[in-house]
Amino acid sequence: MLQSKPKLNVLEKRAEIIAGLKAVLPERAVIGDDVSLKPYETDGLSAYRQMPLAVVLPENEAQVVAVMKFCHLHGIRVIPRGAGTSLSGGALPLADAVVVGMMRMNQILDINYADRYAVVQPGVTNIAITQAVQDEQFFYAPDPSSQLACMIGGNVSMNSGGAHCLKYGVTANNLLGLRLVTIEGELLEIGGKHMDTAGYDWLGLITGSEGQLGVLTEVTVRILRGPEGARAMLAGFASNEVAGACVDAIISSGIIPVALEFMDKLAIHACEAFAHAGYPLDAEALLIIEVEGSDTEQTEMLARIRDICAVYNPVSMRVSQTAEESAAIWKGRKGAFGAVGRISPDYLCMDGTIPTSQLPNVLKRMQAMSDDYGLKVANIFHAGDGNLHPLIMFDANDVESFHKAEAFGADILKLCVEVGGCLTGEHGVGIEKRDLMSVQFTPAELDQQRRIKTAFDPDWLLNPSKVFPLSGLSAAA
Amino acid sequence: MILPDTEEALAAAIRGASGPLLVQGNGTKSGMLRPVQAAATLSTANLSGITLYAPNELVMSAKAGTRLSEIETALAAAGQQMICEPPHIHGENQTIGGIVATNLSGPRRVTGGAMRDHVLGVRAVNGSGEILKFGGRVLKNVTGLDVAKLLTGSFGTLAVMTEVTFKVLPVSEATGSIVLRGLDAEQGIAALSAGLGSPFFVTGAAYLPALQQAVLRIEDFATSVKYRTEKLAGQLSAFGTAEILDTDASKALWRDVRDCKYLDIAEAVWRLSVVPSAAPAILRALAPLGVTGFLDWGGGLVNLTGPADQATHEAVCHAAIAAGGTWWLMQAPEPLRAVVNVVPPEPPALAAIRARVQASFDPRGILNPGRLRAA
Amino acid sequence: MQTNFTTKQLQNPEIAIANNILRTCVHCGMCTATCPTFVTLGDELDSPRGRIYLIKDMLEHDRPASEEEVLHMDRCLSCLSCMTTCPSGVDYMHLVDHARVHINETYKRPLTDRLLRDVLAQILPYPKRMRAALNLARLGKPFASLLPGQSMLVKRLRAMLNLAPVKMPVAQSLGGTVHKAIGETKGRVALLAGCAQQAIGPSINTATIELLNRLGIEVVIPAAAGCCGALVHHMGRHEEALQAARRNVAAWSDGPEFDAIIVNTSGCGTVLKDYGFMLRDDAMAAKAAAVSAKSLDISEYLLKIYQPSQVAPAITVAYHAACSLQHGQKITSAPKTLLRKAGFNVVEPKDPHLCCGSAGTYNIMQPDIAASLRRRKLDSLKAKSPDVIAAGNIGCLTQLAGDNVPTVHMVELLNWMAGGNKPEALNGVNK
Ligand SMILES: Cc1cc2nc3c(=O)[nH]c(=O)nc-3n(C[C@H](O)[C@H](O)[C@H](O)COP(=O)(O)OP(=O)(O)OC[C@H]3O[C@@H](n4cnc5c(N)ncnc54)[C@H](O)[C@@H]3O)c2cc1C
Ligand SMILES: Cc1cc2nc3c(=O)[nH]c(=O)nc-3n(C[C@H](O)[C@H](O)[C@H](O)COP(=O)(O)OP(=O)(O)OC[C@H]3O[C@@H](n4cnc5c(N)ncnc54)[C@H](O)[C@@H]3O)c2cc1C
Ligand code: SF4
Ligand code: SF4
Repeated sequence: MLQSKPKLNVLEKRAEIIAGLKAVLPERAVIGDDVSLKPYETDGLSAYRQMPLAVVLPENEAQVVAVMKFCHLHGIRVIPRGAGTSLSGGALPLADAVVVGMMRMNQILDINYADRYAVVQPGVTNIAITQAVQDEQFFYAPDPSSQLACMIGGNVSMNSGGAHCLKYGVTANNLLGLRLVTIEGELLEIGGKHMDTAGYDWLGLITGSEGQLGVLTEVTVRILRGPEGARAMLAGFASNEVAGACVDAIISSGIIPVALEFMDKLAIHACEAFAHAGYPLDAEALLIIEVEGSDTEQTEMLARIRDICAVYNPVSMRVSQTAEESAAIWKGRKGAFGAVGRISPDYLCMDGTIPTSQLPNVLKRMQAMSDDYGLKVANIFHAGDGNLHPLIMFDANDVESFHKAEAFGADILKLCVEVGGCLTGEHGVGIEKRDLMSVQFTPAELDQQRRIKTAFDPDWLLNPSKVFPLSGLSAAA
Repeated sequence: MILPDTEEALAAAIRGASGPLLVQGNGTKSGMLRPVQAAATLSTANLSGITLYAPNELVMSAKAGTRLSEIETALAAAGQQMICEPPHIHGENQTIGGIVATNLSGPRRVTGGAMRDHVLGVRAVNGSGEILKFGGRVLKNVTGLDVAKLLTGSFGTLAVMTEVTFKVLPVSEATGSIVLRGLDAEQGIAALSAGLGSPFFVTGAAYLPALQQAVLRIEDFATSVKYRTEKLAGQLSAFGTAEILDTDASKALWRDVRDCKYLDIAEAVWRLSVVPSAAPAILRALAPLGVTGFLDWGGGLVNLTGPADQATHEAVCHAAIAAGGTWWLMQAPEPLRAVVNVVPPEPPALAAIRARVQASFDPRGILNPGRLRAA
Repeated sequence: MQTNFTTKQLQNPEIAIANNILRTCVHCGMCTATCPTFVTLGDELDSPRGRIYLIKDMLEHDRPASEEEVLHMDRCLSCLSCMTTCPSGVDYMHLVDHARVHINETYKRPLTDRLLRDVLAQILPYPKRMRAALNLARLGKPFASLLPGQSMLVKRLRAMLNLAPVKMPVAQSLGGTVHKAIGETKGRVALLAGCAQQAIGPSINTATIELLNRLGIEVVIPAAAGCCGALVHHMGRHEEALQAARRNVAAWSDGPEFDAIIVNTSGCGTVLKDYGFMLRDDAMAAKAAAVSAKSLDISEYLLKIYQPSQVAPAITVAYHAACSLQHGQKITSAPKTLLRKAGFNVVEPKDPHLCCGSAGTYNIMQPDIAASLRRRKLDSLKAKSPDVIAAGNIGCLTQLAGDNVPTVHMVELLNWMAGGNKPEALNGVNK
């Protein structure tokens, strides 16, 4: 994958730069030897790899400011990194860049139940927020499947979503404030602990900006009181089309479940092997539907949903009876990507979104592509909002297989755009979809975005080579 | 008044503009924030009409000049609604472009999210007359920078929106409310916080000082509403005996809250966004200055009205800032709006970035100059 | 994940196995979050995914281990929390075992490090030597805090001295003994008596034997069986580990068949259950596999037969899940079920998946990380206000001792409720 040209003057001064970083940071916060840098050469998208110049692991905001000032002064590129679970190569290094890993800033600073917010450092994992407030029956709503590992700074930067976004919204809808350090080392405070903010919606702009605008050092999230209870049901269908039609019928009926997830046969089998959740192995497609409320409310809502499903001749329907059963059902779904690792050495995870009515059509065309490319694809996705996660299985030790998988992926995403959708619903553009951006945006639209980036980062030092296609870069910068 | 009836004509008008433009929909609240000094007015009023409505996908697109009334009528016909329930303060003429440009949300914002949370995509013309689209029509989209959010609430100072796409939701089968009486502001906010901290999914939470009432809303299936209002009333019994309102009475109540009927409008109107627990002290501190108001969003939104003079304005701003919050001057005579900060001033680092971002959309500085801040 | 081994490299069966393990890893990073060293140190290099990557690079280039690789491998607790988390089923345990052997073969450790490892390898597996050493250490104990400096060596010595018990228990030597069932004999098992355990925790074996006898089970401790080999195994001393395995397999395969081989130190249990893999190419392969299949943690064995005979006092027991049980052997509910059956109020700490820092000799070799994990674990346990902390592994019990809450092996509590003596550690608890 094409990268912007490394700056030779930076590469040449590598030793000095590492010494310089050690001068502004504690020794233990700087990694500069090749053996130790190796594991930082990639993230959740391991098909792309590039050794960085150095890695720093700041322990507080002042250290982040110091690193940014140092890098800005010397014209060094900076790659912010959270847990490195990005599936679009968002945290992929550059040869001349310093990776700023935020994992050590992992403290929860403040929790307030009356005003319903939590202030956390960017290295706090998504699930740690919920764990910190669950004794009071509160939770932090966005729940990416990677929630165990991914960090809130990464979530904000990718505007991550999750299975329960259908009801509770994505990261952007659950934030109140941010602190971030600009490339110049200036600290910006955006929003606060209140709901709306006067002036431009910087919070909205920065959320999902993939580390292009600054390094986040603090995040204030909204926390919510959980429902009285929740229950998941499984409905297996004889074909993808029928399951898709059933999704449409549920939404059209005016019922918005908390979660509405879809798996096809390959995915069902892989996840069952991992979670033993009792997924129906004879179904071609499976819907996981979750509702919330008191027991009676759940029962009533599930009855309505069952009535709708029944019209589509399900091959099986099962309502979970215990918390353990529900947990197993979600464990399977949330471990789905990894579980595919059991049936294929490698996968590429696509993330396009389509209008939900296009579901059957898109699934059919994807199957045709799968046959053409000779690569299997497992489908797992957030059906309620049309966010697809086709997992293209390939063998990374076979170069041709990888190139085919890439081309297949690009075709799927083009198809998504063609039917009125978009390239990425929650994983971000990163490096992976960068060159497809012109499928979705005109040159003027891309330039407008580049100019916004330039307003924050005039020298394009922050996470360059991502998001914006390289051609046309000089025009904007 | 320039009234283009196509997007291209609007773009051409901007390209051909020789000086500042006052950008508006139907101009229903030109009394908000700062007055704009412009030779010409550009209105989206003639760019009107719903362009896409897919109830089963929960999305609607409409041209910017489409009236809210038209949108709400179409939604109601399919049993749906705008999630953030925008206020109808200025009658039925306000445009969807204006609502998005001002990011104005009503009571459901407290749990359902603001206008900005539901804008999925926009088409807009920037200050150079380029036609641009950002976002799209699908519910989840993180492709590129979220410019649609940036334009939401930007008061026409970055680009003129020509079409917006937003998420909608079904109208619930039933609505119920509980009314707690005889509470002072502290007790009122404590009751609202307890309600919002309950598992019953409250979708409206306001405190009405003049009536000494705290009101909470629940919207869902009829059986759920009945069950949850009763449970909630029970949980809040420490705050007194709750009266439970049925669907019709609830809808009337929340319409009044939405449209600020509990504000006895004087010369100046402010909106403050703060943490709920700070709201009672703000009401108390400003009362001696003749400022009155009511609280929505569980106390997070303080709607205030009072005399339009600098001293009062500064006291209001000070109260908002002291509480770590923010403010907007929603209405005041022009002389006052022209000389005060109508939104909080920015720290220098952010101001520099803001100026560059603004220039990146509107290099000539012709769109609504001075609307948010003195140039 | 892609790997880059040559066809020639892959002809080596060890490398082929490593390659297969590496290929199942999809580099998703889920495991990082539940790794105690990543949580403590916040560096990808101290996470499972980072270690897997380091190992991959080291093996692919077939180069001697470097100081950095050794540092991060040494910091791994082998707690196997990563394996519980991994949705792809990556066999991290055998990968890190392989890496340790590679390190042992290709890396020359600094002198003090080598000496210390030799000493530990020469003492801990042998109960008598261990006792002698502990007696010495006990004399040194009061001076632990007086040791000057913060060098790693000093910290390690201090950690060793701190681990020595204040009061030396009565010597235990169980090799070659048979303990008859009380009443009708319903079964016959071998017990792994443990090496360090006989020296520092004899009451655990006593309680185990008493309890099993009471439940009608005859307990045999063959003279030829000894240390399970875990200690040297985790140091990458492959040959020594295999020797221990062979000796034990032979001892337990001799004579009439046992119903089960019972382990009450779960750290050893994980290794026993792996004998089949360790000796897969050995002449004893079949016997080793049979021994592995028969090895059961005491809690697994008791699950079906345990019956309390008296009503438990109102004691709150905080159950600490030893990593070797919960991750190594995937035994999570049995100990809690038994303790509840015995009538105790059982509570669990926050983040039960995190290691307490004991991990064999880890608390000696990595005193800083171990101390920080110990503190974290004790804080989370004490947050539940327990009367006593119970676990199924002596290493954990030693690690968690000395912080005002008594620690006992859960089998001691079970034996007490089945008619045995009240565990000595509970003498201060009057309920
Ligand atoms: C198995 C698996 C399942 C997943 N499931 C989902 C899912 O359901 N939904 C979903 O939305 N995503 C999912 N993802 C993708 C990924 O987890 C998310 O994108 C996540 O938000 C990334 O967080 P991270 O901490 O790993 O960030 P990283 O991968 O380290 O970084 C992501 C991006 O954020 C930037 N960044 C990180 N921290 C900062 C900071 N402090 N300041 C500025 N920029 C920063 C980086 O530069 C990079 O561009 C999944 C990934 C995996 C491996
Ligand atoms: C006393 C008072 C109290 C109020 N209280 C509340 C309240 O509590 N809650 C609430 O939500 N609202 C409140 N409002 C605001 C009211 O709801 C607004 O009047 C309404 O949203 C404006 O709609 P409009 O179409 O007339 O906009 P216009 O007046 O035409 O325009 C509003 C702004 O948006 C810009 N704009 C309009 N169209 C576009 C476009 N297509 N592209 C880019 N920019 C555009 C304009 O330049 C202008 O800056 C209050 C107003 C007053 C006076
Ligand atoms: S969880 Fe498993 S597949 Fe994922 S990185 Fe860790 S070891 Fe690899
Ligand atoms: S075994 Fe434990 S310490 Fe080692 S990598 Fe796995 S989780 Fe981390």
